Amino acid sequence: MDKVLTTCVYCGCGCGLFLHVEDGRIVGVSPSPMHPMSKGRLCIKGWLAGDFVSHPDRLKFPMVRREDRFARVSWDEAISIIKRKFREISDKSGPDSLGVLTSAKGTNEENYLLAKLARAGLKTNNVDHVARLCHAPTVVGLGYAFGSGAMTNPISSLAHADVILIVGSNTAEQHPLVASYILEAKANGAKLIVADPRKVQLADLADLHLKPKPGSDVAWINAFLNVIIQDGLINERFIIERTEGFEAVKQSVSVYTPELAESISGVNAQDLRKAAIIFGSAERCAIVYAMGITQHIAGTDNVQALANLSLATGNIGLDGTGLYPLRGHQNVQGSCDMGALPEFYPGYQKVSDAREKFQQAWGTDLPDRPGLTALEMMAAAENGNLKGLLVVGENPVISFPDTYRIKNALNLLDFLMVMDIFPTETTELADVVLPCASFAEKNGTFTSTERRVQRVRSAVAPPGEAKEEWRVINELICQLGIASCYSGPEEIMAEIASVTPIYGGIDYGRLDVNGIHWPCPDRNHDGTPILHNERFPINRARFRPVEYIDPYELINDDYPLILTTGRSLYHFHTGTMTRRTSLLDREVPVPFVEINSDDALAMGIRNGQRIIVETRRGQLFLDARITADISEGTIFVPFHFTEAPANVLTNWALDSQSKISELKVSAARIRRPEDDRFSG
Amino acid sequence: MIVFLAKDKLPALLSELNEMLEVVAPVRIGNDTAFATWVGQPIDFEKNPQISPTEFLLPQREVLFKYIQHSGRYVFEEVEPKSKLILGMRPCDLNAVKVLDKIFGTEPFDKLYFRRRRSAILAVLNCSKPEETCFCSHLGAGPECIDGFDLLFTELDSGYLIESGSSVGMLILKEHSDLFQEVKSVYLAEKNERISKAKETLNSRPNLSKDKIMGALETADWESMGNNCLSCGGCTFVCPICHCFNILDLGVPDGERLRCRDSCILSGFSRMAGGVNPRKSAGERIRNWYFDKFQFIPENTGLLGCVGCGRCISVCLASMDRWSLKVPR
Amino acid sequence: MSDYIPMQAEIIDIDIESSNTYLISLKILEDIDFCYRPGQFVMVSVFGLGECPISITSSPTRKTLQLCVRRAGRITNGIMDCLVGDIIGIRGPCGNGFPLEIMKKNIIIAGGGSGFATLRSLVNYIVDQRSKFGNVAVAYGARTRRDLYFMQEYKGWQQAGVDVGITVDIGDESWKGDIGLVTSLIDKFKLPQGSAAICGPPIMINAVATKLMDRGFDHSDIFVSLERHMKCGVGKCEHCMIGPYHACKDGPVFSYDKVKKLL
Repeated sequence: MDKVLTTCVYCGCGCGLFLHVEDGRIVGVSPSPMHPMSKGRLCIKGWLAGDFVSHPDRLKFPMVRREDRFARVSWDEAISIIKRKFREISDKSGPDSLGVLTSAKGTNEENYLLAKLARAGLKTNNVDHVARLCHAPTVVGLGYAFGSGAMTNPISSLAHADVILIVGSNTAEQHPLVASYILEAKANGAKLIVADPRKVQLADLADLHLKPKPGSDVAWINAFLNVIIQDGLINERFIIERTEGFEAVKQSVSVYTPELAESISGVNAQDLRKAAIIFGSAERCAIVYAMGITQHIAGTDNVQALANLSLATGNIGLDGTGLYPLRGHQNVQGSCDMGALPEFYPGYQKVSDAREKFQQAWGTDLPDRPGLTALEMMAAAENGNLKGLLVVGENPVISFPDTYRIKNALNLLDFLMVMDIFPTETTELADVVLPCASFAEKNGTFTSTERRVQRVRSAVAPPGEAKEEWRVINELICQLGIASCYSGPEEIMAEIASVTPIYGGIDYGRLDVNGIHWPCPDRNHDGTPILHNERFPINRARFRPVEYIDPYELINDDYPLILTTGRSLYHFHTGTMTRRTSLLDREVPVPFVEINSDDALAMGIRNGQRIIVETRRGQLFLDARITADISEGTIFVPFHFTEAPANVLTNWALDSQSKISELKVSAARIRRPEDDRFSG
Repeated sequence: MIVFLAKDKLPALLSELNEMLEVVAPVRIGNDTAFATWVGQPIDFEKNPQISPTEFLLPQREVLFKYIQHSGRYVFEEVEPKSKLILGMRPCDLNAVKVLDKIFGTEPFDKLYFRRRRSAILAVLNCSKPEETCFCSHLGAGPECIDGFDLLFTELDSGYLIESGSSVGMLILKEHSDLFQEVKSVYLAEKNERISKAKETLNSRPNLSKDKIMGALETADWESMGNNCLSCGGCTFVCPICHCFNILDLGVPDGERLRCRDSCILSGFSRMAGGVNPRKSAGERIRNWYFDKFQFIPENTGLLGCVGCGRCISVCLASMDRWSLKVPR
Repeated sequence: MSDYIPMQAEIIDIDIESSNTYLISLKILEDIDFCYRPGQFVMVSVFGLGECPISITSSPTRKTLQLCVRRAGRITNGIMDCLVGDIIGIRGPCGNGFPLEIMKKNIIIAGGGSGFATLRSLVNYIVDQRSKFGNVAVAYGARTRRDLYFMQEYKGWQQAGVDVGITVDIGDESWKGDIGLVTSLIDKFKLPQGSAAICGPPIMINAVATKLMDRGFDHSDIFVSLERHMKCGVGKCEHCMIGPYHACKDGPVFSYDKVKKLL
């Protein structure tokens, strides 16, 4: 038995684990005790991360749609069809009628090549990935406030905080390793404040649980800051020396009294005051947040509101302080870093500023027209402006909002090519399906949520004729006439380092087993675990006043409930991997909707009863899970399940700054199937 | 039989053994030490690996049999395990093997387990370097190995004392006698000194005897422990005695029936198809885990279900003090 | 061969017992004398889906091996999707069965819901060897009339001199019999002290056992068949642990004194 050290494939924690290999098959997983972050521990998904790799459903051969069925073809044939199709569409409708959705599950090297394929090969900036639906507001919001849209501190820093404010993150289930550091801090005496409409596990262990209505965050966060300012708990020295724009924020939050915040958000004014004083009085405060903050039309403002709070109290740049946006995919940080975003080249170099540099580096003309974001591409497909799409390791049919609309948009495309490891709801719609290597079958790097660039190592061979994506993308780039012949991921990383200042010192030899936190500008630099400790990349951090706006969909008599969506501990994203992991699927085998117990009583709904959940876009049949752990008037549906895809219900409303859609708030109603008989 | 092997001769011995069977040993991978097939890597006896070598007797995932459909009927195929020599298993883990032997040996005898067990030669390492979380001596499971081994290594400054404890072990020592030296009395003295030192270290730690733990079980606040538990299953996956498994099929019409490790910490473990769950809360499941080790396994096998290896302490994701059974509040 | 390799059996008949329950008759395709006792179960395989425990519904005194399968999950769905002539796997018999050698001659058999499936084996076993037993009574309750199993057999049991009481939770116009709990049936029987065999949900088991103890039954004479999640069927995998016992090996039948604290 061989044991191969690699990085976990699930969430952004980036835990180190061993894949146990015998006779060319994965027979087990164990944690790496010396991993600097995970230290010999894993969550249940990590312990079972090897299970899906050898599942018989794996895609093994390239396939092409012939009428209504797929036919197996050779790689050469598949590649030549793709090349021909791309050419045809580009010639007829222009390069911007093509788009690329890359994968937050792919390596940095693969994302880099995909972004290069889009820009240098297809001549379009239409390249995006699933970060658009998770942390685009962080990239934009923290990019503006601090000059860097990433987590400021390493995860382990949380253990040294005196107060931890957790907002819109079910950390114990979504980032269990982060939760372990939060529990460690708590054991050391730290105070815990959780703001979440659901009584998530950490809320149960917290000193204070604030229960804001989904979509009301700016109101209560502004009030939170207002209390801190009123009570003189701000860090004036920090504000004066390192920031700008505080006065405007002070002015704007002054109207947000806890009482006003209570009337908007439902957060008890007394609790809010208490929480603000705990936070303001402590020396080192950390703020952890996730999708509960970002997936709103006010996502970027929500992020700024939290940044304002950190800056006003001087909680940036030191161990135990900081802002912790928790990334959901193991390499969604890296995918952003690699420029799989329409507006950025690798390392957040703006397309408008760095085009010349990349034209030189890639030896070809690059487009200067602005690219489309993920949902903008879907809209362009709807109105016929986007005709060809390459989707890699992503399942938009299940993961994007408003499933029916997405399906319709994808169906309208002339050409859809999907690369994945399993058949998905999206491969079903494809014209060409290419089989890929899973994380256990390729070399490369992932960048975790704490900006740690770490190695992924191949443990077994891909099944059948499946190939590592970088080989396929490399081949496509060559076919499109761009010189591109890498011997392997290590050489791709060398190129990345040469054009990406924050990755300048990243080199496989240096990554070894601990990885390196970017920014790491050169080979002699040890990396930067804590950002902004002396200065911000923009010199002075920026305050910006933010005002509360209503969520896009408000409840009314027809749709009296707020529907919010999310994940379960035992499943990941669209379930393609976890639902093929026997123990995980056994834990949560069926989709469900959480309903407040008082609401359920009023509606006459029993626990386990099959009910209908409806929004303006669609309806689902779901088993009711009745619980006191969710606020009245709010219901929760996890989105992992193909048999009841939660995104049938969600809407497209976009945050104007980051173009994320408001997945966390939809107006909904519930019916019992038996009620239909009477309603005629 | 007892011999002395100079340190620099260990690779030669392993190479010779490797010609006949697969040698499994604690090797360095990155900064870690883990049991893996030895193919010439440096051996690391410094740390006791987090995953016990019992995984070679009861693998995390193994094929029970392959089913192949053939004109309406099925044909079944089984896989023969390879012969192995497991080097560097510590006394705690050997004691765990004794418990597993009892559990899988009670009627009906588990042939698959014993096929692996019989094809494995156990070369145990007396423990002179207990980990910080170890408490084997309080449960009579270490640091010294008394019986049950084929070979017993004790690391000394200049080499290893190797004792045989079975005819297979003796045969190995005889077959490779050219590599060994005669045992001097100073070596035996050094062995005793090392073991007493390890005992001293372990005994100086807080007492975690069976009675002490049983006492803590009576007063433990299972509900609070359940509320803190992050349901990672780590405690069950690192325990050398935990042997819960799941059986599942992969593949239609032909495929494999697999036996995979399972964890009683998961709620689906005991939940029945209709949804009824005899151990509904995390607290009840943690309680069951402890009582299994300190009451049920002893009732069924006469042996304690815990060997004090301490792995469940270091693997726990929640900041739980697993053995004083207290939760920080 | 390992104990985990099943025997192959052909489905030779499928009867529909209720909307979600089939009675499946099997012919074992191996040259083996399949001996079992009432109260035992088999591990049934549908290759590709997996294996699950199903109690044996037929009596060993009769020729055909029958299983009563209720739609509850993936594997039971898979079994119920099979057609006559299909091959499934069988491992067993597993578990201990009812300890007829120590049970008294007077027997009350009480079943609730799908738990009655395993008791039918015992009832028919007694009916076929009626002279060996004394006073025998059957008390069986289900949710509605449509959920009752083996309706066509009750008359035969009565003709063999067995007291039969049937009750449903929810009655309707077509139901002329008793409505209420199984415990209420027991009051109707003039049952001399003896042994009891009970299977059903824990709450029903406890209610019936308590009632019988009130009527002078000793708790060690009351035998209950317990349902648990099972995987290996041979006492190793630990899914079916009830305290120190394994339901698949030490059970599924336990004397009530052993398990009443663990239910």
